Amino acid sequence: MSGLKSIGANALWLAAPFVAVAVVWELWARLGSFPPKLFPSLITVADTFVRLAISGVLWAATEATLVRLVLGFVLAAVVGVIVGILMGRYQWVEDLLVPIVSMIYPIPGLAYAPLFVLWFGLGDLPSVLLVAVASCFAVIINTWKGVRAVKPIWIRAAESMGARDRQLFRLVILPAALPYILTGLRLGLAQAWRILVAVEMLMSVSRGLGWMIFGAQEFLATDVMLSSIAAIGFIGVLLEKQVFERLERYTVVRWGMLTA
Amino acid sequence: MKIAFSWRAFWRGAAGLAFLLLVWEVFARSGFFSRALSPPLGSIANALWQTFADGSMPQHALVTLGRVLLGIALSCLIAIPLGMLMGRVRAMERFFLPLVSVLMPIPSLAWVPLFILWFGIGNISTILVVIYAATFPMVYNVWTGVRSINPLWLRAASAMGANRRASFWKVVWPAALPFVITGLRLSFGRAWIAVVGGELLASPVWGLGKVIFEAKEFLNADVMLAALIVIGALGLSFERVVFQALEARTIARWGMVAAAKR
Repeated sequence: MSGLKSIGANALWLAAPFVAVAVVWELWARLGSFPPKLFPSLITVADTFVRLAISGVLWAATEATLVRLVLGFVLAAVVGVIVGILMGRYQWVEDLLVPIVSMIYPIPGLAYAPLFVLWFGLGDLPSVLLVAVASCFAVIINTWKGVRAVKPIWIRAAESMGARDRQLFRLVILPAALPYILTGLRLGLAQAWRILVAVEMLMSVSRGLGWMIFGAQEFLATDVMLSSIAAIGFIGVLLEKQVFERLERYTVVRWGMLTA
Repeated sequence: MKIAFSWRAFWRGAAGLAFLLLVWEVFARSGFFSRALSPPLGSIANALWQTFADGSMPQHALVTLGRVLLGIALSCLIAIPLGMLMGRVRAMERFFLPLVSVLMPIPSLAWVPLFILWFGIGNISTILVVIYAATFPMVYNVWTGVRSINPLWLRAASAMGANRRASFWKVVWPAALPFVITGLRLSFGRAWIAVVGGELLASPVWGLGKVIFEAKEFLNADVMLAALIVIGALGLSFERVVFQALEARTIARWGMVAAAKR
């Protein structure tokens, strides 16, 4: 009986903050100084959300955004892991690339957006490339650190037991660097997600959640904007809970590299 | 990761940069893109020189920096007390944590068009985006910092007769400070991205993002690249000079480096 009670109490606690915010929002929408067109009631927003979901517009936009996210991130992951491993393994690559990477890394990827528009035009190609460029540095730097953090004694031990280059790489270096690589991938994906929405606004892609927000601005359709932001928040929470935390649990924590 | 300075690494790094510049020069002169789209090094340097000589670039940079610093300062005013309360008071944690974890994964730039409708284009919208971007890493770090305080310290303090105020200022605050500094560092990184995006989208009159946006309209790729160089140099010097000095002065001196890992 007490277990049931505590579940009820938990649900109440979880709902309370959202209910409180909703009440404040609703009061402000009805009594505040903004016209309802600019600050819609939550009922209007929910109505629009359902309408967009049923008509399929929201799904199409979500799908386009997710495809861009995955393409850009996969590109960044492949390039970033390869470059990072080369930097960690070969001294001359490291010396050559470290200054370049550390100079380009602090420039926000979004700042390249207009340059990419000039080079590649508008649309999908520059958006995906830009997301890839913006997110690959976190992968590069973490992979590099991970390969450098492999204990030299493990490498020497494997070599003295007659491991060839490929075995050494597959059986020693990769597993030892994997926690770092995963951290890099996680940071890279988060980075890609943070700028993708803005990239869509700047690149005038044909579909996408960011574009929906930007396009709705022209029509003062704040309800559409808030619906898109809600969808974005939903995807963000899913990414966080389902992808990042799971990745960490399955790999790093299981190997005892990190206590959960 | 700290790397000992060595002349060999220095020369190789210089060679790396020279190689990058050479590749760019060949690419620019190859005619793959027209000169207007990929200007050679000479005209980028010229654009950089001209915009510095007439004082416009430093002013744009100052405005952008001012927005970032103001936004971070305001976000600290919200985030540090909120994080502290969430760390110390159970009810506050239960109320605010769900809100924070829903709002945190929404990219700050998604709000720009809405902020523009509410507050118009210009300063207010841009600074609000910066605040949004900078607040969450700060709240999260302060909250983690306060929660990770060894309860033994608090019990020891109260056994020695510390009242609530004393135990806050002598125990909780110093113990959380390394996390505040880590939060500041993360906040700056997020805010730096947000301010450029905000300036691109919300088009205020001044700002480095504005320079880039305007240069696109007039196909001035050289000015655009000059602004990119300024953005990179500012970001790098904040990360390397300001924050490293801050950490050396505070966390490292107190011997708490291990505690402040993120």
